[in-house]
Amino acid sequence: MYIYLLKRLGLAVAVIGAVILVLFSLLHLIPGDPATIALGPRATPETIARYAAKMHLDDPIWKQLLVYAGNALTGDLGLDVFSERPVTAMIGERLGFTLALVFAGMGWAALLGIPLGCLSAIKPNSWVDRLTGILSVGAIAVPSFLVSIWALLIFAVQLRWLPAIGAGEPGDFSDQVVHLVLPAFAVGLGWVGYLARMVRASMLEVMGETYIRSARAFGLRPRKIVFGYALRVAILPTITLIGMGFGGLVSAAVFAEIIFSRPGIGKLIFDSVMSRNFPVVQGAVLVATALYIFVVLISDLVIAWLDPRVRESL
Amino acid sequence: MDTLLDIRNLSLEFRTPRGRVKALREISFPIRKGRTIGIVGESGSGKSTILWAILGLLASNAKVTSGEIMFEDRNLLALSESGLQAVRGEEISVVFQDPMTSQIPVLTYARQMFDILYRRPGMSAAEKRRHAVEMMQKVGIADPESRIDQYPHHFSGGMRQRAGIAMALLTGPKLLLADEPTTALDVTLEAQIIHLLQELKSELDTTVVVVSHNLGLIAELCDEVVVMYAGEVVEVGEVRQIFHDPRHPYTRALLECDPARIEKASRRLPVILGDIPDLAKPQTGCIYATRCQRAMPICRTDAPPVVGLTVSRFAKCHLLAGPHHDPQWPPPPDVLTVPMGESVAAPRTVGRAQGELLNVTNLNVQFQIMGPVSAWMRGITRRHVDAVLDVSLSVRPGETVGLVGESGSGKTTLGRTILNLVPAQNGSVTFENREIRNMAERHFKPLRRDMAMMFQDPVGSLSPRKSVRALIVEPILIHGIDCPDLDAEAERLADLVRLPRPLLARYPHELSGGQARRVGVARALALNPKLIIADEPTAGLDVSVQGEILNLMADLQAEHGLGYLIITHNLPVVRHISDRLAIMYLGRIVEHGPADEIFRNPAHPYTKALVEGVPNPDPDRRRTHVSISGEVPSLLRRPQGCDFVTRCPYAQDRCRIEKPPHSRITPDHDHACFFPLR
Repeated sequence: MYIYLLKRLGLAVAVIGAVILVLFSLLHLIPGDPATIALGPRATPETIARYAAKMHLDDPIWKQLLVYAGNALTGDLGLDVFSERPVTAMIGERLGFTLALVFAGMGWAALLGIPLGCLSAIKPNSWVDRLTGILSVGAIAVPSFLVSIWALLIFAVQLRWLPAIGAGEPGDFSDQVVHLVLPAFAVGLGWVGYLARMVRASMLEVMGETYIRSARAFGLRPRKIVFGYALRVAILPTITLIGMGFGGLVSAAVFAEIIFSRPGIGKLIFDSVMSRNFPVVQGAVLVATALYIFVVLISDLVIAWLDPRVRESL
Repeated sequence: MDTLLDIRNLSLEFRTPRGRVKALREISFPIRKGRTIGIVGESGSGKSTILWAILGLLASNAKVTSGEIMFEDRNLLALSESGLQAVRGEEISVVFQDPMTSQIPVLTYARQMFDILYRRPGMSAAEKRRHAVEMMQKVGIADPESRIDQYPHHFSGGMRQRAGIAMALLTGPKLLLADEPTTALDVTLEAQIIHLLQELKSELDTTVVVVSHNLGLIAELCDEVVVMYAGEVVEVGEVRQIFHDPRHPYTRALLECDPARIEKASRRLPVILGDIPDLAKPQTGCIYATRCQRAMPICRTDAPPVVGLTVSRFAKCHLLAGPHHDPQWPPPPDVLTVPMGESVAAPRTVGRAQGELLNVTNLNVQFQIMGPVSAWMRGITRRHVDAVLDVSLSVRPGETVGLVGESGSGKTTLGRTILNLVPAQNGSVTFENREIRNMAERHFKPLRRDMAMMFQDPVGSLSPRKSVRALIVEPILIHGIDCPDLDAEAERLADLVRLPRPLLARYPHELSGGQARRVGVARALALNPKLIIADEPTAGLDVSVQGEILNLMADLQAEHGLGYLIITHNLPVVRHISDRLAIMYLGRIVEHGPADEIFRNPAHPYTKALVEGVPNPDPDRRRTHVSISGEVPSLLRRPQGCDFVTRCPYAQDRCRIEKPPHSRITPDHDHACFFPLR
């Protein structure tokens, strides 16, 4: 177990190292001088020279890379080109909003999608199953930015039930929750479909297993068999999917954050790319990557917790 | 005596795309309290369908068309789902066929047993646990107090089946159903489970129904036997009546085909010709008429009379009563009523002394079990296990060598290593005096024409998307052999393995088990090999069909001088067709010699255990003891000293320290034991 954890952490560090390398090389692979790129075409030679000296752009590349990597690992992601604020602090302010959005989105998707999948699997080819199937495929097919725009138009503009933009007043929890509803709905809708399909498929497989027939032959209650036995096994691949989905959602959140003008990592990356604020892009992508690795690790540990065979093979 | 369960006139059909398959037709037999009933039949006989009908757990496309199943005073077929739920597990319980797949892997035994006891509100959690522990103790699980908190994968195969029996008996059911309870287990474990069931039966006073195709198991366990064929009961009787005085031609044929009953060594085995009829089509007359050697015109038109004295002793056959009654039937027991296959084996002209076809010397195969980092962190220096350990073996042209061992003995690995599918660490493999061990595939490929493999799972090893015709000639295409007329070649091969030509257009899933085997044999023969390695050639086949495949293999050998290496766990079968046997245990050959001598007079205690482990299909020769206990240890825990020491009833101190070397009894019979039994 500890060996497994150590191995995974080692691997995580290696992946983050590789990401740093790629991000760093990208900056240097773009034609032209990083300082010119960073400051834009209208910068005077003096500004560029001052900037290059301050950012240690005169140093050899390997040294820059080592310094950046070392700083990143100690939590220093550099400075914003324009405001000169620390990138770490900027990300810190917004990370909470993105996490809230992603958790809320995936949360409601799981709470709805998993039971729907179970329901479809218990009565395959029933009207519940068919309806769930059609809606799931529909939900998967519609792009999330379209959902965002329609949700905005219907619930915020037409019906005026929910606020359209922003993340709510700082400190006012209920206001923040109300502001979270529409973006979370938009981000999670596709996932309801994915999860329902996934759970249905693995439930159908598990319900056909011999040990489910055994449980029925021992006279266990149908509800016990479905939720206590079948779902316990069928949920395992779904957990992996959810883990990987979190990573995907961090990027899917870009659309929702732009459309709903919510602060967050996605919007930060978008704005920084538009303004060529490379230290911020680098830092934010790095944090998103680390987050992804962390969530996947957590989902693997959850599977190990649920499945003794996996637990012991660690 | 009271009747506990009475099946009356039960008929049942499955609705399939091919039409309505009448899987059970007018089944009637009583099950009396306290008795053990065996339902015996081949695949497709409907024997398991009866079990699921009793439990009300039939597939959704099944429909009961007539009859009733009276359990005490209730008709189980008329009970509601919740009524059935109350009966299942509580009054009627089941021991399942495969303990590896019938227990949920993610819950502990304590949890699973606790769940079964949910209908006992009067019992506290502690009482339930104590009761479960007691039951685990009763089925022979050592240290049940701690083992009950383990998961199924912590238990070995035999222990899992014991736990399965404990779960079934937990509620003290009135009726225990056992569905092929030993089929998934090795011979030595089968003997242990039979012994356990015998003990529990007399102790718990439960009525038991055992469903099996294994005549030995039925003879050892049951008081009464129901013989089924193609969805009908053909004969019912006391166990001795069925085994010593069978009346129905099918019962008689089934007994004659069982290799475990055949005493004299013969290269050929008796067979029941033909296939089970298609139950989707309407049947008239006697269901067995198409395969019966004594079939008369009336058998094809008129249903046979039910001839017998009581409801618990009858047979359905025209030979026994009516205008076609034959007082000469049944003939004396030593007269064979079924043929020995279609053709007479030609004398084995190919000399056996022509030198060796295949020669394996001191072969070692190791499997790595963990990476260097994990091993280093765990402080383990040995990162591999020995799957095959110092094995020497040879096959001459025209000779059959049987390689026998339980699961985990390394026999399949050895076969794959010979075919260069698994790399070997050291030793030598020569084919026609040419070293082939770990040969590069581009050099080895031409040799694959001379060495063919028959795979264990006949259907699984065939591509489901190719027709039989394409599958049979596939080896020819793979090897790029110029063949002007592939269709003619496919037909030639089909004729050779006696596969009816119309089947060439079919796909693997449309074949019966025996037909799929024939395709496997045809594929193996396509390139005119000199050596065939057959992995469990009869696994999953019915007794009546396995004779056909083995006879076919014997004929082909006589005709073409093939050498066979037959890998199997089925000692009775391999005994009849092998010249020599090699017995493997934990990757080593423990005894090696002439087949008949080894079978009659084994030298190694393990060989003796295997020979005695086979249940005898004779109710008068029931065993009173189990020859060996325990199970094959993991390769990770190879014992110091003799590999078999942990299970050997004759083990002495010396066996625990030293590894016994191979020593010879006669020039062609050797064993690895310090204290041989002869």
